[in-house]
Amino acid sequence: MKINGVTIADTFAEAFTMRVARLVITGRTAKWAREAATKLTGFATSVIGCKCEAGIERELTPAETPDGRPGISVLFLTMDKASLPEQLIVRVGQTVLTCPTTACFDGLPDAPDRLAVGKALRVFGDGFQASKVIGGKRYWRLPVMEGEFLVEETFGMLKGVGGGNFLILAADADAALAAAEAAVDAMTSLPGVILPFPGGVVRSGSKVGSKRYKNMVATTNDPFDPTLRAITQTALPEGVNSVLEIVLDGTDAPSIEAAMRAGIPAACRPGVNTITAANFGGKLGPHHFHLRKILA
Amino acid sequence: MLSLAARPDHVLLADCIAADRFAGLDANAIAALPVVHGGRPGTLGEFFKVRGGHSSIVRIEGDVPQVEAIGAGMAGGELTIDGSVGRDLGLAMAGGRIDVRGNAGDNAGGAPPGAARGMSGGEIIVRGNVGDEAGARMRRGMLAVTGDGGRGMGIGMIAGTVVVFGKAGPGAGRFLKRGSIVALASIERPATFRYACTYHPPYVGLLLRYLRSGVGVPVADRYIGGRYERYSGDLAELGKGEILQWVGE
Repeated sequence: MKINGVTIADTFAEAFTMRVARLVITGRTAKWAREAATKLTGFATSVIGCKCEAGIERELTPAETPDGRPGISVLFLTMDKASLPEQLIVRVGQTVLTCPTTACFDGLPDAPDRLAVGKALRVFGDGFQASKVIGGKRYWRLPVMEGEFLVEETFGMLKGVGGGNFLILAADADAALAAAEAAVDAMTSLPGVILPFPGGVVRSGSKVGSKRYKNMVATTNDPFDPTLRAITQTALPEGVNSVLEIVLDGTDAPSIEAAMRAGIPAACRPGVNTITAANFGGKLGPHHFHLRKILA
Repeated sequence: MLSLAARPDHVLLADCIAADRFAGLDANAIAALPVVHGGRPGTLGEFFKVRGGHSSIVRIEGDVPQVEAIGAGMAGGELTIDGSVGRDLGLAMAGGRIDVRGNAGDNAGGAPPGAARGMSGGEIIVRGNVGDEAGARMRRGMLAVTGDGGRGMGIGMIAGTVVVFGKAGPGAGRFLKRGSIVALASIERPATFRYACTYHPPYVGLLLRYLRSGVGVPVADRYIGGRYERYSGDLAELGKGEILQWVGE
């Protein structure tokens, strides 16, 4: 299969099950909602080193938010049930609670699994906090120097999908970057998906484990490193001198598929040789995104 | 659906009318529920024509200002009254929603005589005025009044929220421990409430938006995004409650 002369490899991206929460952060202006969301999702690229993966899903209009103010929807993922509330409590407490004018609401109200995030944060109020039930949901009002911070008592948790991906194999670094940027633009703001890495792009894709250091969980993906072409078992076709990866996390597999369907054709630009994907022979995760099937 | 068949000559105590209670009963069983008319026992069917049954969504047609204790102890469902009601509406109510398209008498959402707690959950919407001591000793829940409140609104509240769009009479919030009284017009505050600050309370915006979109109460934008003066009180009690008075956009 080819798109705009770019080969679509007959392979699949392998993804795994994660736990996901959606947070809706509102602020007096979109700027302050975005400030909080940016801080909240900082240092959250990969569970390998950050213990969580997070990103901005999309901006919300005032009509879409519970309090009628501009908002940002954020997806937050961890590998297990226990670490999701831990990460949320710490991060919301340090980045949203501290940010002027913001409030924090649950974006998965129908999820039966509930995480007591606001309930844990309430103790910052030192006994002066107050709860309110509005429309069957409990909120906590925390007095702060600015005025009040409002946070929902619980947040929904679903089984999500982490590690959807595709690799852009290009003739040079400029072509790879331009293709990656085009793909990210095409996938940004699609519902149910985040691209957790910087600008949505990864330059240092990894393989599981290490050939040399036994304590390393992940090391450079040497078959795709162009500088190692001559000394390793390379996976790169002739003429490829740079590779970038797009990693996708989402609330479910169809959302990831929809984003890949939008992103891959956008990446098929001049200078790009092949689009392929990372997998581990089906041993890592239950979600397999076959590139050609998605694009058919 | 209940519609008045015979106007009561005296006060009709009908604390059997509760949406969740009707959910398990057919029309005949509902009509057989006990009431007290002028101090004498009777049945609901002597005064109301009952249509339907086995539903927790109940409607009462017309004005029933002589009927008291409607929705007393109600724990779920929806009860709509198309006109005005008597005193003790939603007495010690625990859940569900009561929506009155008229006025309500004294002690709406309040407590039975001698009881420590009034309403402990649910919502009461009165699209008109309420009498004295509405929301008295409320423990949880929300009472919204689009008209005026009488004397002692929210007196002795333990928690919960009272919203009053019109004037609130003297003694509002007296002996309040926790809980909120949100006043969109004038309110006669007890001297034992102390001014804290003027700010945009985010929860009030959320609450008023809920009333507008979730309950269908017309709420102007100036209240949703408005500034409110916060008065803490009752300082003769725990002092963790508040009166939030709208002061402008």
